[in-house]
Amino acid sequence: MLTTPDTIAEGGRTDNDADGPGFGQGGRDAMRWPGGAGLVIEAGTVPDPALSPVEVIADEAALLPEPGQTLRLEPLVEAGAEVAQGAPLARLRQAPQIALTAPMPGRVAALDLAPGRILSQIVLFHEPEAGRHEHVVAANAEGLRAALQGAGVWRLIRRRPFGGMPPPDERPVAIAVMAVDSRPGAPDPLLAISEAGEAFARGLTVLGSLTDGPVLVVLPVGAGIAGMPDLGGRLRRVIAAEGHPHGLAGMQVHTHHPASTTAPVWDIHAEDVAGIGSFVETGLVPAARLVAVGGDGLRAARLVRTQPGAHLGALSRHLLSPGAHRVFSGSFLEGREQAFLGPRDRQVTVLARPPTPAAPRRPHWFLTALGGASRPRPLIPTAALDRSLGGSLPAVPLLRAISAGDAEGAARLGALSLLPEDLALADYVAAAAPPFSAMFTSLLARMAEEAGPA
Amino acid sequence: MRRGLWDRETVALLLIAAVLPMAAAWLWWGGAGAAGRLVWALAVSGAWHLVFMLARAQPPSFAGALAGFAVAVLSPEAGPLQLALGITFGMVLGELVFGGWGRNFLHPAAATAMFLGFGYPTAAWPALVLPVAWAAIPAVLIGVAFGVMPWRTAAGAVLAGAVAVTFGPPGLAPFAAAGAVVLALIVLDPVAGAATSVGRWLHGASYAGFLALFATGWVGVAPVQAAVTAAFLAALAAPLLDEIAIQAWLMQRRRRHG
Repeated sequence: MLTTPDTIAEGGRTDNDADGPGFGQGGRDAMRWPGGAGLVIEAGTVPDPALSPVEVIADEAALLPEPGQTLRLEPLVEAGAEVAQGAPLARLRQAPQIALTAPMPGRVAALDLAPGRILSQIVLFHEPEAGRHEHVVAANAEGLRAALQGAGVWRLIRRRPFGGMPPPDERPVAIAVMAVDSRPGAPDPLLAISEAGEAFARGLTVLGSLTDGPVLVVLPVGAGIAGMPDLGGRLRRVIAAEGHPHGLAGMQVHTHHPASTTAPVWDIHAEDVAGIGSFVETGLVPAARLVAVGGDGLRAARLVRTQPGAHLGALSRHLLSPGAHRVFSGSFLEGREQAFLGPRDRQVTVLARPPTPAAPRRPHWFLTALGGASRPRPLIPTAALDRSLGGSLPAVPLLRAISAGDAEGAARLGALSLLPEDLALADYVAAAAPPFSAMFTSLLARMAEEAGPA
Repeated sequence: MRRGLWDRETVALLLIAAVLPMAAAWLWWGGAGAAGRLVWALAVSGAWHLVFMLARAQPPSFAGALAGFAVAVLSPEAGPLQLALGITFGMVLGELVFGGWGRNFLHPAAATAMFLGFGYPTAAWPALVLPVAWAAIPAVLIGVAFGVMPWRTAAGAVLAGAVAVTFGPPGLAPFAAAGAVVLALIVLDPVAGAATSVGRWLHGASYAGFLALFATGWVGVAPVQAAVTAAFLAALAAPLLDEIAIQAWLMQRRRRHG
């Protein structure tokens, strides 16, 4: 499946039409993106890529909303029910054909809905004898779409602008398949699909049937995937430059096929494409994903294959170094401190918890006034800030528009292709307070409201 | 969680570190008079920062010290009271009323020098000794290496300046020293300048262009006066240059993506 760089130009065409001249062909020393410099972020303890992933099935797993996502549900099971892996647990009220399914065979431990039947979490206990639910996948295009939605696989797809899963009948103008992930400590997507065989190619064919536009396969420098379908010339290979944030879908969508309110673009992780491929073949919902467990709070980092939504403690507990910890779902840039793996996360980051002072003394008001800037903190343009958005969009004007709440200006500068997670690096670099990503979340919500229902 | 390095005060401290060679050269050749001016400028500038901290909850910034140094080096040699008045105008109206460093669009030292130049036309503009201008070179190199000064602005100014000196009318060379000092102290401030890549090239080039224009066409102008005025006008033009750069970028993207 993984091949040498020579195969890059085979089949499909390599898309090098972004800013500046193209790359030298292949090789580890391939030219970097001119003018598109990213950053190299120290990730701390990361898994040794030479060690093969360990199978870990956590005793608890949960179905969570994505950060900021509101999912109004109609539950199909009750607490205490035994469910097979892949069996529907709930369906969306607004789009009943879309179901959320069980990530593992087990018993429903808790079904927590916020007022308005908004999903907060559905927790399951592992019970292997519950088996796997087999979905019926029709061969025609509508049947395929319905099957993906009914099996909860639809959730693996994310749309831009505004994020979240796509509406049931949406046809995007392009789909970006992320076979690269530049977040510090992220597992290599090519490793995740290295044993997927033809499932990845089959998944690409399925994606090709969901759109009339191009399917962009975003690859790291110097890598290629053999055996990809041509999709009638619609499959395009895109090489992401090295460094963060070039391996984020937002930067690639912005550079190669910008999204707008009338022209949505989907993005999906390569491992999930392989999952779709195997789902179409077998009718079984993908049950495992490759997750990197890393961070400074661990004695050793490692790669695991575990169920989506796994309990983070089960993945990291026996690797912890002594002391108190904070466990994040996601990388330390955009991760959130929570108990379960988020629906899109493929990383667990464990950081040592700084000791809390015994009796926090209030400092003198003068010292507080010297330190605490009025919010939002002023934005100082530096080379680091320019690079934190990859250099392919005007970083400072865009961040200024976002922190001023200027929806029109932000949209003009490319915000519709981006999601809050794409600004996590800028938050980190500039120590922004409040974070740009938080300001962008509320700005996007307002823009989505103004744009009307998708 | 974790946070990066490049917040406002880090950038301000790195900028101060970058201009230290200039400060050392300037104090060495300026003697006690220069030191007195610097202390006075820092005191007045600090007092206004304190006032805005107490009245507006606007925390002071090390960038205030940087602006104070620029004022001491570049402003006309008026009396201490006039200097205090000029700093008051430049600091308060150039920076502090907008919310402090990072939210301003004018450099407070440029505003101060312009105010003093117009308000007290008989006051002589300072004559810069050559070592200070030489020290501007490491200052710019340090700032650019740390990424706290925009390298595109510096490159645009140096390129346009070189073109003007080579192909322009004679008599521009004496302005190069003042031009270099003002470039390091005022034009390369990361906040009060252009913010896009193309805009920065244009900003630097327009600074050098204005300077060449004043050097040739403005009879009886002092080099520092011409350079500060050029920096001031270039900074006023910077938002326009940014907008031009963004429009060009949008046109290019429309052509590529429809």
